[in-house]
Amino acid sequence: MNPVSEHVNDVPDRQKNQPDAGPAQQASSPFFRILRLARKELRESLRDRRTLVTLIVMPLIIYPLLGTVVQKFAIQRVNPDSPPAIVVFDGSISAELAAEVLEERESENVQSEKGKVQNVADATGNPTKNDAVPSMEDGASSLTGSSTGAAIGSLVNNGSLEVPPIRFRRYESLVKAEYIGEFLQSEDADVGVRQTLPVQDATTGRIQPADFQIVSRSGDAFSLRAAVEVEKRILAFRDRQLRMLLDRTRLGSGMMSTISRQSVAGSGQKSSPLSAFLPLMLVLMTMTGAVYPAIDLTAGERERGTLEILMAAPVSRAHLLTGKFIAVLTVAVLTAVINLVAMLLTLYATGFDRVILADGATIEMFFQILGLLVVFASFFSAVLLSITSFARSFREAQAWLIPLMLVSLAPGILSLMPGVHLTVGLAFVPLVNIVLLGGELFQGTAATHLFAVTLLSTLVYTVLALRVAAGVFGSDSVLFGSSAGVWAFAKRPSKIRSQIPMEIGIGWLLLLVPLFLVLSGLRSRVVALENLSGQLMLSGLLTFLLFAVFPAAITKWMRASAVDVFALHKFRIATLIGAALLGCTMWTIAYQVLVFSKAPLQWLEILDNGKLKQMAERLTSETPFLIRIAALALIPAVCEELFFRGFLINTLQKNSSSWLRPLLISTLVFAAFHVIVDPSLTLERFPATFLLGLVLCGIRLSSGSIFPGIVMHALSNGLLLSLKELNPVLQFIGLNLQVENESSLPAWFLATSVLISCTGVGLVWLGRKRGGEYR
Amino acid sequence: MPDLIVARNLRKTFTTPVGDVPAVNGLSLNVRSGEVFGLLGANGAGKTTTLRMILGLMKPTSGSASVAGFDVATQPEQVKRSVALVSASAGLYQWLSPRELMQYFADLYDVRGENADRRIDQLADLFDLRSFIDRPCSGLSTGQQQRVNLARSLMHDPPVVLMDEPTRGLDIVGSKRIFDFTARLKEMGKAVIFCTHRLEEAQRLCDRFGLMFRGRLQLEGTLTELRQKSGRESITDMFLDLMEEHKSTTEESMQAQPVAAIPAQEGRSA
Repeated sequence: MNPVSEHVNDVPDRQKNQPDAGPAQQASSPFFRILRLARKELRESLRDRRTLVTLIVMPLIIYPLLGTVVQKFAIQRVNPDSPPAIVVFDGSISAELAAEVLEERESENVQSEKGKVQNVADATGNPTKNDAVPSMEDGASSLTGSSTGAAIGSLVNNGSLEVPPIRFRRYESLVKAEYIGEFLQSEDADVGVRQTLPVQDATTGRIQPADFQIVSRSGDAFSLRAAVEVEKRILAFRDRQLRMLLDRTRLGSGMMSTISRQSVAGSGQKSSPLSAFLPLMLVLMTMTGAVYPAIDLTAGERERGTLEILMAAPVSRAHLLTGKFIAVLTVAVLTAVINLVAMLLTLYATGFDRVILADGATIEMFFQILGLLVVFASFFSAVLLSITSFARSFREAQAWLIPLMLVSLAPGILSLMPGVHLTVGLAFVPLVNIVLLGGELFQGTAATHLFAVTLLSTLVYTVLALRVAAGVFGSDSVLFGSSAGVWAFAKRPSKIRSQIPMEIGIGWLLLLVPLFLVLSGLRSRVVALENLSGQLMLSGLLTFLLFAVFPAAITKWMRASAVDVFALHKFRIATLIGAALLGCTMWTIAYQVLVFSKAPLQWLEILDNGKLKQMAERLTSETPFLIRIAALALIPAVCEELFFRGFLINTLQKNSSSWLRPLLISTLVFAAFHVIVDPSLTLERFPATFLLGLVLCGIRLSSGSIFPGIVMHALSNGLLLSLKELNPVLQFIGLNLQVENESSLPAWFLATSVLISCTGVGLVWLGRKRGGEYR
Repeated sequence: MPDLIVARNLRKTFTTPVGDVPAVNGLSLNVRSGEVFGLLGANGAGKTTTLRMILGLMKPTSGSASVAGFDVATQPEQVKRSVALVSASAGLYQWLSPRELMQYFADLYDVRGENADRRIDQLADLFDLRSFIDRPCSGLSTGQQQRVNLARSLMHDPPVVLMDEPTRGLDIVGSKRIFDFTARLKEMGKAVIFCTHRLEEAQRLCDRFGLMFRGRLQLEGTLTELRQKSGRESITDMFLDLMEEHKSTTEESMQAQPVAAIPAQEGRSA
C-alpha cells in the first residue's frame, strides 16, 4: 500500500499548489497532443476486423472480379458468335449488291480496300487512330491467338468499345418488295432492302434510275444500326461501280476523291465512359473505407458509454474531434491508396489501361489522383463526422448515413452522363468536381485553374463540415439525450409559450424548400405556362400557404403566442418612416450590387441571362399591373416577412436578446432561398438579396416588430416592378433608366439614394426598442 | 479539512415540449477531503444532473459550484483536471489493452512521459492488473474490466472522485470491490460523492448523507444527525417517510421522472 500513503500526504499540497499547477500542465503543444489522441483512434480503428475488411479485402476482391467481368463482356462483343442482323432482300436486288451488303466479297478485295484507307491515313502524316469501318475479320483474327489481351487490343485499335462491329446474315429466301415491312414487323428480319425498278418516262424518254430503300423497324436501336451499316455498304458499292464506270471513260477513276474517317484526341472531351466510372468507383470505395471508423469513433463512443468520461476530461471537443478526424482521414486515405493500386494493377493486367488512360499509367498521374483522393477523403471524413456526431447509437448513425450515400451517388451519376465536363461552376459543386476532375486526370486533360478551384472549394467545405462536427460532437443533447427525445416534440404542449422550439422551426425550414420546389413545378400542371397571370396568382397563393399559413398552423399547434412568434408588436413611427425611406431607395443600391456581382459570375460560366430577360419582358407586357404588384410585391412582402423575420428569427433566438445568430442565419437562408427557388439558379442575386435581408432583419430586431419591414419589403419590390410605369416620373427628375441593359445607375442618383438610405437607417435606430421593452 | 466540493443553490431546469421541468432545485452541499458523501435518491431524483453540474458537463440554470477551489463556470478545465468520474455505465475501448487505455487517459489529462508510465505501474499494482495489462480489453472478464475502469479513472490522481451509481448491475464481488475502492479513496484523502439508490450499502459506506427527492436535498447530515432529525433508525425508513410526505404530488413526480431522457435545451429555459 505504498502508493496509497504517498497520496494521503499528497492531497493538502495539491490543494495549495493547484492554481499554479494548472497552467504549467497546459504547456504541452496542442498539435502533439492531438496527434497522441489520434494515435488511440487509429489503433482502435485499424485493429477492428470490420475496418480491415473494407480496407484490404474488398479492393483485393472487387477489382480483379470487375476486371474479369468487363473483359469477358468486351470479348463477348467482338465474338463472331454474337447474333447477326438478318437482312431480307427484295427479289429484284442483284446478287452482287446482296454480296456487298453481306460482305461476301473475295478477301483480297477487302485487303486492297483496307490498304487504301491505310495509305490515306499515312499520307496525312497523322499517326492517329484509324476508324475505318470495322470488319469482322479484325476481331476474328485477333481472337485466333486466343489471347484475351489481344481481344481488348483489337477493341482499342478499332476505337469501338462502345459500338461493336455488326454482322449480317441473309434471310433464307427473297421476298416481294411489298412484304418486307411485314417481315420486319414480325421480327423475322432486322433490316430490309428493296428497290423500285428503273422506269422510262413516257414523255421525255429519260430513264428514272432504280431507287434503293432500306427499311428498319422503328424504335429498335439494333435494327436502326443495321440499317445505317447497310446504307453505308450500299453507298460503297455504288462508289465502286461509279469508279469502274469512270475507268472505262477517258477521265478514269483517279479523279474521284476517297473518303476516310479519322479521329484525333479531343481537348478535354471524354471518350470512354469508363474514364468517368473509375474515379466514381474510387470515390465510392474511399467513402466506404471512411464510414465505419467515422461511426465507430463518434456514435460508437456514446454507445460504449465512453463519451461521458471523454467529456469529463480536460480536452476541448475541437481537439478530440480533430484527433478523430485525423484517424478517419488516415483510414480513408489508406483505403484510397490500396484501391488505386489495386485498380491500376487490374487495368494493367487486363489491358484496359490502353483504353482508358491517355498515356498509360504514369507515376505523375498516380500522385495527382492520389492527391485528389486525399482532398476528397478529408472532405468526406469531415462530412461523415459531422453527421455521425449527431447519432446516439451505431444503428442511428447508419440510418443517417444511408440518405447521405444516396445523395452522394446522385452527383456521381450525373458526372457519368455524356457531355458533362468540368467547368468553373461545377468545380464548386462538391463530389461532382472530384469525380469529373478524376476523369480528366485519367485522360491527362485537366486544366490547372479547375484543379485549383476544385481543391480549394473542397477544402473550404471540409473546414465547414469540421466546424459543424465539433459543435455537435459530445454536445448536451447528444451526450444526455435519448433517441426517443425527438418524438417528444410531436406532443402538443400544455402550456402557452412564447417561442417555437428550434427543432420544429428548423424542421419546417428543411421541408419548405423541397415543398416549394415541388409545388412550383406543379403550377404549370394546373395553369398553362403561357397564362402568366394565372401563374403569378398561383405563385402568390403558394407563397401565402408555405410562408404564412403553415407557420401559423405550427404556432397554433405548439400553443405559442402568434404575437410573439411573428413579432406582431407595436413600433415607433420613426421606424416606419425610416423603413419606408429605405424601401424607396434600397432597391437602387441592391440593383447596383446586382450589377457589380454579375461581372465575376459571368467569368464563372454559370450565367446565361437571355432567357431570364425574355421572361422579365413577357412579365411586364403580358400581365396586369395590379396582379404583378400583388403576386410579386405585396404577398411576398407580407408572407416572407412573417416567415423569415418572424417565425425563423423567433425559433433561432436563444433568448429574447440574442441577435447575431438569428440575424446571420435567417438572412443567409433568405438569400439562399431566393437563389435556390429560381429555376435558373441565379447566383448573382445572392449578394443583393443578402443585403436586403440584412437590412430587413436589422429593422425587425431593432424595432421588435415585423410591420416596418413589411412596408419596406413591399415598397422595394413594388418599385422595382413598376419601373416601366414610373418611367415618366424618373425621366422628369432627369433619370433615363435603362434597366433592361443592366447598366450602372448614374452616380448622382446613387449618391442621393445612399443619403436617403442613411437617413432611413438613422430613423430606424431612433425608433428602436429600448431596455425592457425589447423583445 | 478544506471543503473540496462546494455547491451553492444549484438549479437546473429542462425545457421540454410539455413545459419547463426542474430537475435540480436549489441544491447546496459541501464535501471535505477524506469524506464520502452519499447522494441518495430514487431514479430521476436529480443525482446525476447534480454530478454533471459539479463536473461542468452541464451548465446550471442558476447557482454555482467549485471543485478543489476552482470555479466550475470560469475554470472548467482545472475543475475537470481535479475530478475523477466513476460510472457503472462507462465502457472500455475493446480493441485497446489496459495499458494503452491508461496511456490514452494520460494523454487526455496531459500526464506525460515517465510520469504516465510510473502512474500506470502504480495503478497496475494497486488494482492487480499485471497479468492482463497487455491483452485487448475485449477478452477480459467483467471483474477485470471493472478494475481497469477504476484504475483508468485515477490516472491523473485527482483530489475529487464523483461516483455515479458505481454498483449498478454488479454482483456481490463487484460491489465489494467498489466498497473497498471507496474506502481506499477515503484513506487517500479524496473527497468523494457516492450516488446510489441502494440505501443499505450507502449506510455502510458514507460519512454523510444527502437524501434527494424531486430535485431537492430534503435531509442532510451524518447518520446520527439524520436519525435525530427524522426520528427513524434506517435510511430506508427515512425515505419512506419522505415519500409519504409528498404523496399528494408523487404522481406528478412520476411523470417528471423521464426528464433526464429528454434532450436538454441550454439557456432556453425561462
